[in-house]
This record gives sequence, C-alpha cells and structure tokens, in this order.
Amino acid sequence: MRRLALLLLALSPPLAYSGSAPDYLRDLVERSRRQNLAAEKQWLRLVHYKKIYSGDFKSEADGRAFFLSPRGRTDPAAELEATLAGFLQEEMADTPAQHPQCQFPARFIWLHSKLNFDFDRLRPKRCTRFEEFWNRLSAKSITLVFSSYYLNNPASAFGHTFLRTNKTDFAYEGKRFELLDYGIDYSATVDTSNALVYGFKGLTGLFPGHFNYYPYFFKVREYNDYESRDLWEYDLNLNQAQVNLLVAHLWELGFTYFDYYYVTANCAYHILTALEAANPDLELSDRVGWFVIPANSVKAVFANQGLVRGVHYRPSIHTQFQDRLDRLSSAQRSALAAVVGDYRAPLPPAMGPRESVEILDVALDYADLRYARELIQGTDRQALEFKQRLLERRSEILIPSEQLRIEPPVLQQPQLGHGTKRAELGGGYSSALGPYGTLELRMGLHDLADPHPGYPELSEIEFFPARIRYNSDQRSVWLEDFSIVRVISLSSVSRFDTKPSWNFRLGVTTVRDGGCDACAAGVFEIGGGLARSWFGSKLTLFGFAQAELLGSPPLHGKFNLPLRLGAGPLVGTRIRVGERFSSVVSGSYQYLLETQPRWTYSGSMVNRFHFGNGFSISLEVKKVPQAWEGLLAPVIYF
Amino acid sequence: MRNLHLAFSSAVVLVSSIAAADPYGTAGCGLGSMLFHDDKGLIQVLAATTNGCFGTQTFGISTGTSNCAETSAGTKAAQIFIEANREALAKDMSRGSGETIVNLSSIAGCANPAAVGATLQKNFKAIFPDENVSNEFVVNSVLGTLKGDKALACSHVG
Repeated sequence: MRRLALLLLALSPPLAYSGSAPDYLRDLVERSRRQNLAAEKQWLRLVHYKKIYSGDFKSEADGRAFFLSPRGRTDPAAELEATLAGFLQEEMADTPAQHPQCQFPARFIWLHSKLNFDFDRLRPKRCTRFEEFWNRLSAKSITLVFSSYYLNNPASAFGHTFLRTNKTDFAYEGKRFELLDYGIDYSATVDTSNALVYGFKGLTGLFPGHFNYYPYFFKVREYNDYESRDLWEYDLNLNQAQVNLLVAHLWELGFTYFDYYYVTANCAYHILTALEAANPDLELSDRVGWFVIPANSVKAVFANQGLVRGVHYRPSIHTQFQDRLDRLSSAQRSALAAVVGDYRAPLPPAMGPRESVEILDVALDYADLRYARELIQGTDRQALEFKQRLLERRSEILIPSEQLRIEPPVLQQPQLGHGTKRAELGGGYSSALGPYGTLELRMGLHDLADPHPGYPELSEIEFFPARIRYNSDQRSVWLEDFSIVRVISLSSVSRFDTKPSWNFRLGVTTVRDGGCDACAAGVFEIGGGLARSWFGSKLTLFGFAQAELLGSPPLHGKFNLPLRLGAGPLVGTRIRVGERFSSVVSGSYQYLLETQPRWTYSGSMVNRFHFGNGFSISLEVKKVPQAWEGLLAPVIYF
Repeated sequence: MRNLHLAFSSAVVLVSSIAAADPYGTAGCGLGSMLFHDDKGLIQVLAATTNGCFGTQTFGISTGTSNCAETSAGTKAAQIFIEANREALAKDMSRGSGETIVNLSSIAGCANPAAVGATLQKNFKAIFPDENVSNEFVVNSVLGTLKGDKALACSHVG
C-alpha cells in the first residue's frame, strides 16, 4: 500500500510545488527573468540548445524526460522556469523516477550559483543514486582520450574519442592508478543484427545514442589489447568546479538520448557538447564542421588555448610487441622464432636468465597480439594452450620484467594531421587531348601521398574524391574520376607478422584504353597482396593481385553485357623523405576477359612536396594505352 | 556428547572448506561477456567503420549501479578487476611486474607492488594450473594468495 502511494507520487506531474512554496518560486522566477538567465550561454549549453535555421532554439537531446516543461525542447525560458518549479517539488522516492534536483544536478549547481537558493525554502533532497555515481568517480580531473586506428583497418583511421574522469589531480608517487579511473563515452545502442537495417538506421539517426561509463581498464583492454590501438590521452585544464559541473552534467545526459548519426552527431560530437556545458568559455562543437571526425575533436580541443595541459601515450599490444622485439639481438630473434613455432622449443643454453626473459616476454606479447580474439572468447584450444605454456615458462624465471619505456611517437598525434578535406586546382597536358585544367575535391580523409603526421602511415582511405576536367581545345567539362570510397591497407610483413595487404575501390572512372573512347564507367576494384617496409616506413614496396569490374554502355563483355572484367598484377612503391616529400609509383597490367582489347595497363606516379600540413605541390604523371598525361597542381588541406 | 561435538566440528570444517573454495563467487565481469559480442560478417565491418561507437547497456549511466563498475578499494572491486583483466594480469603475474599488478595492489591495499608481483609470480602455477580454470578459480586463488602472505599486508582484502 505504501509502495503504491510512493509510485503514484513518483508518477504525478510536477504540480506538487504549487501549494508548498509558490511565493518562493515566484521570487526565483522573477529574479531569473531580471538576470535574463535563460539567454545565458551556460544555460543554453546545459540543455544542449542550438540555433536552428529560423533563428529559434532547439535542444539536440531527443529524450522527452530531459525536459521538465512540455515546451522545453524549443523554449529555454520555459524550461528554466519549469526546472526551478521542479526543484521546489515535494519529496519523492529516489527510484525509479528521480526528484528533479537529483536528475539535474548540474542545472541545480548552476542555478544556485546565479540565484543563491535559500535552503530553508528550497530543501535540498537526498539523491542516493547520484551520490553513488559521484563517489564512484571521485573526479578530480578530466582527460580526453583518443583511440587511434586499428591495424589493417583503414576505416578506423577516423579514431574514437571519449572522456576519462581521474581520481587524482596529478600523478602521485610517480604513478597514477589510471586503470581504476572511469571512461565515459557516448555511443549508439544497437538493437539489430541485420547488416542492412544496421547501415540504414545508423545513417538516418534511428539508433539512440547514450552515455555510458566504464572502469578505464575495460577501455584499455578493449582498445590497447583486443583491437591493438594506441591511446593518446590529453589532460584537460579544468578547475575543480568545472570538473564537478561536468560530472553532474554527464549524469543528466545519462538519462536521455540523442539520435545517433554515423557521420555527424556521433561519438566525438556529443563528447564536445558535454565539455562545453561544463565550461562556457570553451568553443568546441562549432569547430568540427558537420562531418565530425574524432581526430578533429582533438584539434578543436587544442584550438582552445591552454586547455590541454599534458599529453600521454598508452601503447597498444602491437606497439609493445614491436618495441620489445626491436631490443632483441639476432640470436634472440632466432630463438624467439623457434618458441613462436613451438612453445616447448628450448632456448640456447648460452643464454642467461635475463636474455631468456626478454625472449619469453616478446613471445607472450606475440600470443596476446596474434590470438587476442581467441583468448578472450576461449574458442581456440591451441591458442589457449600456447599462451598458458609460455606463461608457465616465463613464471619459472623468478626475475621481474622491467617496465617498458616507449618513446611516444609524437608525429602520430591526431592533432598534427592535415585537414581532412582536400582541394586541388591544377593544369596539365595530355598527349591525346592537349592542355587541360583540373579541379579535385575530396571530403576525406587521407591517401598515401598526403603528409603523413597524425595518420596511419601505410593506410589510405578516401571518401568522395572527385576530379573534374576542363579541356580547352574541346571546350568541354567532364567528371574524370570519382570514388565513393577508396581504400588501400598496406601491412609490412615480417618474420612474426604476415598479415596481407589489400585494396578496394567503388566509383566512376574514365576509360582510355581502346575499350571505349574516353567513356565514363562505373568501377569496382578489389585486390590482395603483400607489402614490406624499410627504414621506419620510409620505403615500402607492395604487390597485389587485383580484379576490376567496369560497367559502361559502350563496353561489350561476355554475353554482350556492358560489363568488362579484368584481372592482373599491381606493383608499386611508396617513398617518403622526412616530412617534406612523399611519392607513390605504381603500375598495373590487366588481362581482360573475352573482350577487345585483350589487355590493358596503367602506370602512375604521384609526387607531393609538402609545405607544412596545409599545403602541398603535386606533380603527377600517368600513362595509359591511349595517352601520356602530366599534371602540376597546388593542393590545400582544410 | 563427544560424538556430537565431533559431528559438529566436522560440519564446521566442511562448511568452511566449501566457503574457502568459493568465498567470492563470480561477478560475471569477464571481457567476453561484458564487451565483446560475437558480431559476424558485414556487421563487424560496419562496426569497425564507426569505430566501435557502441555501448553496452550494462554500463549505461542511467542503469545506475552496474555490478561491474566498482573500482574502489576492497574485495568486490578486486574480484571485478581480476576477472576483467584476466589475460593481462596472467601475463604480468608471469613477469612478476606490470601495470595490472600495481593497480591490483592499490585495490587490495597492499603496500608494496613489487613484493606482490614476486609472490604472484612464485605462485603462478597454483593460480593458473591450466588454461581451462574458471574466472572464479582465478579470483579465489589470487585473493587467497594475497591474504595468505601476511608480509604483503594487503589491508583491503580481509
């Protein structure tokens, strides 16, 4: 019976205040109007209002429960006054619905700082659930964490950003127990296992996005170990009051949702709007454009002078493995190769315990790198046994391993990367067509000849690169080449790492090989092969077996379909000289299936001279059966 | 009377030995169940393209007190930590040092992480006798080892 009463109380609309403290409410509302609080930046940010085209405000939060006023989503003043009314509302159970004071602690803190609540008339409530969250986090400082790319998955070059709340302000005793801190991210809650539905819902905002919090060790295990991604950690310069407001605000956000869009309102975007709410001086979310790439959110943080007060690097399991491997002598490497092949393989008797430890430590990282999935899922008996026996062997040598001290690869920091959009305006000459002008625009992200800082060096992923040509002799303009997506993933093979390289492209291109007379054709390319790098990735050679499917009305393939299938090898090299020059040279030969001509080829060389990370000069040479072409173009990244 | 006493004390021994075998149970906070669901094929590709911008409901802020989100000092937190970090902890234990040992020492209130590392390394085969032992077994044996070595003085695990 008592329970029922509580439930009814919890469900009743916020009218209870009217009888209890109407005078004080009137007083607060009046003062808030006099101070014009509803127009203040921080209020607008706490409720996530953005100006829409009409000039009115609309909150980006999509959950109804985020608003206490029925008009709250579009009316900042109505929401502010309803919030004050809510705070005066009578006591109610803290669960399942919360008292507005408990649900909106950041609004409470901020409004109190402006209106100086009289706690005799506005009774602070006990908020047990919020207090538990608050105490768990015990936040003293905030760090923005950027998870860099996955190996062999260029799509992940976009990275991922989330926040970490730290229990300490700075390191103490030289250590920070970061694993015990909390990661807070914004992410989509997926409710389907159908890939088509998934893609559609993700692009159209039909997945709700929620804020989640995890012990940081879950994040470290997930990114560093399971996915082998390096983490960059940016300590933010927020004072304790701002940290408190942020934590309180994250609690508020935890009870609503935002429609999740892959490219715009994604994980990076809402992390920034949360930070802005905690400190009205920050300008973050307006700096990232509508196509939000997590690396750009790191740049936005750096654009606020003094906001970053320290950068830390947390190496992935792959980086740890490589670092330990680099320290081995060649005799140790041979012994390692034997152990990796057979965990029972004895180490050479000449090796002392220190040297043996070094070998077994690399072997253990190898096991975690190679069998990350199998070990967690427990699906591969051999992988489990392999690691177990190596662990036993290592534990028998009672010497502690020294802590790895890996120099942070400072050039890989995401904020150093070139702008994700690219424009190129140039002039060239074609042996078939004479002089021409060209305009190229690219939405994102990076190709192998772009300046490499801040990006995975041997990966290329491009979205919507389009090249338009103007030919002065013919006075015509056409689309020379366009891709929806183009990917190249090079992975240097070594004794201990034999991952294949691959490429993929979907788009439209202009054919100039006798199959048709410079016709536009839809193109789908896919290939796989091997790559090898030397001199710290400055020189890379690669070789692929590649298949290409072209589709265009003038083409005549098998069964008289307007399709042409070709297959053959592609070889190439990428050379980089410092940060000033990069070059990609490649050539392919294709046998064409049951069509004329019987074969075709293509050779190209792209050289770029970089002047900082925003401007380059590109010199390109291309040879196809019907033409030699050369192009000189200034390139800007923005 | 004597028989009764004997029966009583053996019952006590039996109960306490069961308790010793399983004083903590399992928190169910292993990585396999918490983070990594076995998405297949195209979904996996799409998921990678979006950079794992996916949460698990378990850790939603609104779902309140997730059982696996406790990291403060004490036995419960130690149990969660050991389960979730099992693979990394096993490696650090065999090496006798490492970040997971430092953090575990902090949760368990052990003064000297280096000594904790040495003890866990020495007892590695008792803690991980083979690759198939349950998380529960690992939790119990790690905490048992920490408690068993009085010199470690791990004050937060009683």
